[in-house]
Amino acid sequence: MTQRPAFVPWFVLPSVLTALGLMVAMLTVLQYSIRAHIPGSLDVGGYTLDNFQDLHKSIYINAFVTTAWLSIKTAFFGLLLSYPLAYALVRTRSGWMKSTILIIAITPLFLGEVVRTYSWIIVLGNSGFINSALLAIGLIDKPLQLMFTQTGVVLALVHVTMPIMVLMLATGLSHIDPAYRRAATSLGAGPIRAFLTITLPLSLPGIVASLTTAFAWTFSAFATPQLIGGGKVSTVATLVYQLGFSSLNFPFAAALSIVGLMLTVLLLATFKWMTHSLQRVGAH
Amino acid sequence: MLRKTIALTLLSASLIATNANAADKLIVSTWGGSFKDLIDKAIGQEFTKQTGVEVEYVTGGTIDRLNKAKLAGSAESDVTFTTSHVGWLYTNDGLFEKLDMSKIPNASHLVDQAKLSPNHIGVWGYVYTIGYRPDMVPEGITFDSWNDLWSPELEGMIAFPDWDPSHIIAVSAKLSGTDAEHWEQGQDKLKALVPNIKAFYTNDANSQQLIATGETSVQLLLSMNAYHMMDEGVNIKLAMPKEGAVLGVDAMGINKGSEQADLAYQFMNIALSPEVQASIARINRGSPVVDNAQVDPEIAKLPGMLTTADQWGATLDTDARLRAEKTAEWRKWFWENIMAH
Repeated sequence: MTQRPAFVPWFVLPSVLTALGLMVAMLTVLQYSIRAHIPGSLDVGGYTLDNFQDLHKSIYINAFVTTAWLSIKTAFFGLLLSYPLAYALVRTRSGWMKSTILIIAITPLFLGEVVRTYSWIIVLGNSGFINSALLAIGLIDKPLQLMFTQTGVVLALVHVTMPIMVLMLATGLSHIDPAYRRAATSLGAGPIRAFLTITLPLSLPGIVASLTTAFAWTFSAFATPQLIGGGKVSTVATLVYQLGFSSLNFPFAAALSIVGLMLTVLLLATFKWMTHSLQRVGAH
Repeated sequence: MLRKTIALTLLSASLIATNANAADKLIVSTWGGSFKDLIDKAIGQEFTKQTGVEVEYVTGGTIDRLNKAKLAGSAESDVTFTTSHVGWLYTNDGLFEKLDMSKIPNASHLVDQAKLSPNHIGVWGYVYTIGYRPDMVPEGITFDSWNDLWSPELEGMIAFPDWDPSHIIAVSAKLSGTDAEHWEQGQDKLKALVPNIKAFYTNDANSQQLIATGETSVQLLLSMNAYHMMDEGVNIKLAMPKEGAVLGVDAMGINKGSEQADLAYQFMNIALSPEVQASIARINRGSPVVDNAQVDPEIAKLPGMLTTADQWGATLDTDARLRAEKTAEWRKWFWENIMAH
């Protein structure tokens, strides 16, 4: 039997150090959340739970609900648009078509979120591409208000998350043994039935993974809700920035962050529990 | 032996060169974009011309740089440009040196509103006032008074900065017969403005984009930004309400522990020279904070330019220390009662 070299366990060290660093950062945030804010100073005061008391107000609860709802909508609509793209990417036999779809899917990743968001401001504006096109073809007689609305924020966030969702779905689809589909076809199943009874169930692990990732990513999104939302769409991240970071009230920002993190964990755990049986269907 | 000698010589030379380079530059912390260009063109290049020392710029947002300075523990820059009230936060946290004014002789000409604290002084002034697209507002509206912002004809048309409500708070307090220190008396007035608010912009670039594209045709904005957009060809007008525009003063200080303090004093003295102050007005329409600057009369008469004591006195001037203390409280109230609705 070949013995494992003695230095192999040391390869775990970087990840251990990273995990330790993250844990220290989280503990620091937790510590800040129970300290008092001193107006006009960057220092913090004694221990207190006052920072959490304000979060019971309905406007803060609304912000948490808005964030969760935006994340769910982004994940759902992202899936609707990403799945066909991922399916085409995996199923096409043409090399150049594969490359074209891949480039279209991942090119947005080459631009930062801020650059993409500024581009969406131009597209969504009253004089932007969408309104100009709809006015030109006569579908509307005055511009639709897309900026500073949840609709505009979701549109831009879907664009931000789509590249990752496409890649995750394509990975899941590519692991499905084509023999299953061939077997279904040989037994008389048409393309749609084969997709609904074979491909879709077997791609569920990829669907769940991409939905989870899109949800978690969107929950902490900042630049897009901040710029497209224009202060009218409040999310946890924009609140942390406006009420905490920019106001130098770090204790309150820390409290918002801790509650936001707990809500994310709770929602993701709930989603995992709900989809547990579905994932077992896709395991093969 | 020869090889070792050469290697040692090269190593020593590189170390000496490194140390010489460190002494040959002044590190200035500032905002990016047009403000960094202004500081370089008006002050930095003149400083290099007079002293032979290069200026290196470190850029970032006002609060970002404050946080970095707090966390750094030692001076990472020598001179910091910031806003008047955030300068008090630097001061309160011991991040600025106490200024030896005898080393800044040009500061003897500072206007009162620019004498901020023992640790930071003003470098240029501006106003926050009403900027609007004359081609997009209802006919006849000219914003002679701040009260015009509350006009029902402006429903859903106005944008405000999301990071600092102190300007509109000062305005509402004034219109309610008081001042920023007693701002609570203006709260009802502020709440009545909600139907006219369309959005909140998050930074200068966002402000410029929103008004240039017509997305928000009326804004409470910084006069220097408005003039920058006019230079870019955007059709914007600035109004000077009869109650007075809201004064803003940008400031500078020397970072505590700076090893280039002497150079920093020279830099600040050059910044306050009448010639440099006049060039700041010419380049970016920043008002001179010294009373001996000779500003081009055509520039001096522009709305928002402050070149006489009467003009400085006519502004709504919220004490910078009060702003520093009240920022968190104002922002929280503003978000809960205005932005969240």
